[in-house]
Amino acid sequence: MSLGQRGQERLRLGLIYVLCLIVLVWALAPIYWVAVSSISTRRELYARPYKIWFPSEPTFESYHTIFTQGAKFRDGSFSPTAHLISAGLRNSLIISIASAAVVTLLATGAGYAFARMQFRGKNAIFLLIMLMLPLPIWVSLIALFFIMSRLELVDTLLGLVLIFVTLLLPLAVWMMTTFVRDIPAEILDAARVDGADRWRILYSIVLPLARPGMVAVFLVAMLTTWNNFLIPLIFSRTDDSQPLTIVLTLFIGQYEVAWEDMSAAAVVTMLPPFLMALFFQRYLVRGLTMGAVK
Amino acid sequence: MHRRPRISSDSVYVIVVLAPIILLIALFIYYPALDTLGQSTTNRNLRIRRPPKAIGLDNYVKLVNDDEFWEVTGRSFKVVLITLPLEMAVAFGIAMLLNQRFPGRGVVRTLAILPWMLPGVVNGFLWGWLLNGEYGALNGFLYQFGLISEYQYWLREPDHQLFWVCVVQTWTRYAFPTIILLAGLQSIPDDLFDAAKVDGANAWHRVRYIIFPLLLPSFGIALVVEFIAAFQIFDVVWTLTAGGSAGGAMNPFTKTLMLYNYELVFRDLRIGLGAALSYIILVMSLAVGVIFVMRVYNQGVQEA
Repeated sequence: MSLGQRGQERLRLGLIYVLCLIVLVWALAPIYWVAVSSISTRRELYARPYKIWFPSEPTFESYHTIFTQGAKFRDGSFSPTAHLISAGLRNSLIISIASAAVVTLLATGAGYAFARMQFRGKNAIFLLIMLMLPLPIWVSLIALFFIMSRLELVDTLLGLVLIFVTLLLPLAVWMMTTFVRDIPAEILDAARVDGADRWRILYSIVLPLARPGMVAVFLVAMLTTWNNFLIPLIFSRTDDSQPLTIVLTLFIGQYEVAWEDMSAAAVVTMLPPFLMALFFQRYLVRGLTMGAVK
Repeated sequence: MHRRPRISSDSVYVIVVLAPIILLIALFIYYPALDTLGQSTTNRNLRIRRPPKAIGLDNYVKLVNDDEFWEVTGRSFKVVLITLPLEMAVAFGIAMLLNQRFPGRGVVRTLAILPWMLPGVVNGFLWGWLLNGEYGALNGFLYQFGLISEYQYWLREPDHQLFWVCVVQTWTRYAFPTIILLAGLQSIPDDLFDAAKVDGANAWHRVRYIIFPLLLPSFGIALVVEFIAAFQIFDVVWTLTAGGSAGGAMNPFTKTLMLYNYELVFRDLRIGLGAALSYIILVMSLAVGVIFVMRVYNQGVQEA
């Protein structure tokens, strides 16, 4: 009664912001702590029982260490891993960008065919691609390992890119088919009447008009590939092809690296997805929930 | 007559565009899937030098009679049964919050779904460090507020390990159901609430009798997707509690179906047995998925 309309609104907003704070702490606290860990000095990071929630003298030494000397062991000596993290970064970049680029191109060409052309076996082929979605990839991976060995593609960047392209195909084709279907049929038909063949239409009409869709496919493909762990766990053996997700687990398991250095490695591993999530979230969410929300 | 060249140029387009896709899928997915099925009926074991023999369904029989198989299967279902309610509760709460109108909602939304976009192995590591018994931030935080009097080893007890695996899986995945539920909420027309308010329905009634039934299809989709994600959990466990990634023994207390399968095939090199297990996992995932969808939809029909 004593609360006016304005007071009530203020109370509502106040309550909402308190709840938002709780949600953000839940979502971001682990990320915050690993970032802080990576720029803390060892002495402050290991302080107990009271933790130091922000380093008094932030330092990038851990990053310097993991890229130049190799990460520190917990006992203070250095592991021979300097090349691991830089090779991992290189491999992660190559694999995710190449896979995303190839799958985007393949899916755009195919999306046009599925969305706007009639041909024999169209539905069967589309179904065959989409059936991969509910199929757990495990059943293919076991025999695939032996196929890849025979093709001498184990522990190669090319082998990983081919596998990722294949695994990304159903989602990418599905997305691009939907996006091309959204291009007004009249525009495409008008070009056909003018005598343009399919390649010309693909190049000069579909590509420019479906660009937002292609960007979404590219970003989703890149994120998914960057984050993947299982595929390189099976198909990578050495730093010829090991991406950052694998290097991080080597740090944790095999080399028992110091926490501050491991935190730096974790930050390097999650930085690209983190930035993509901040700046391109609209695209990513649209791609990653495709079909579930529409 | 003059239409002929156009048709053939169309076919050229279709063939050029689809051939690489069909080739990749056939070579990398369907052929190996069939090959794995074939392997599952052999006793192929790379540790033993002998030509593999066809043994029919013996691998499947062996698994079904194996205690470890049931233990691991039970653990996977336990992960599902703890994770899904936790995840849906978190997602529903956050979706309800983000469905309110307030300044800054876009920013909160962007930040709230960040964990979903990060690599699962990183998430496992983040939480492992957070929960560390000697220097973990959770210990420091709780100690500082007087909630614990000494540092706890959160990941020491086997039961606790599995619980934390579920928490981290929830943290990794809750954003997806949040987005699905939020989309569902936003499609509920405002008049419905106005009408309910006029009828004197309180907040709980509105949730129970309007929001919940209308969100059932969204819950259905989210549950199926999240069931599969939790049932086939791998990355998070690997860095949180699996231990020994350099070929050492795997922690038995958080060994779920996928980790067990990885161990059988790529560590023990029992290809035949592992292949059989992968098909059992496939059948279980699909069966539970189908049952789930049917349950949810039937219930939706009954309530409507």
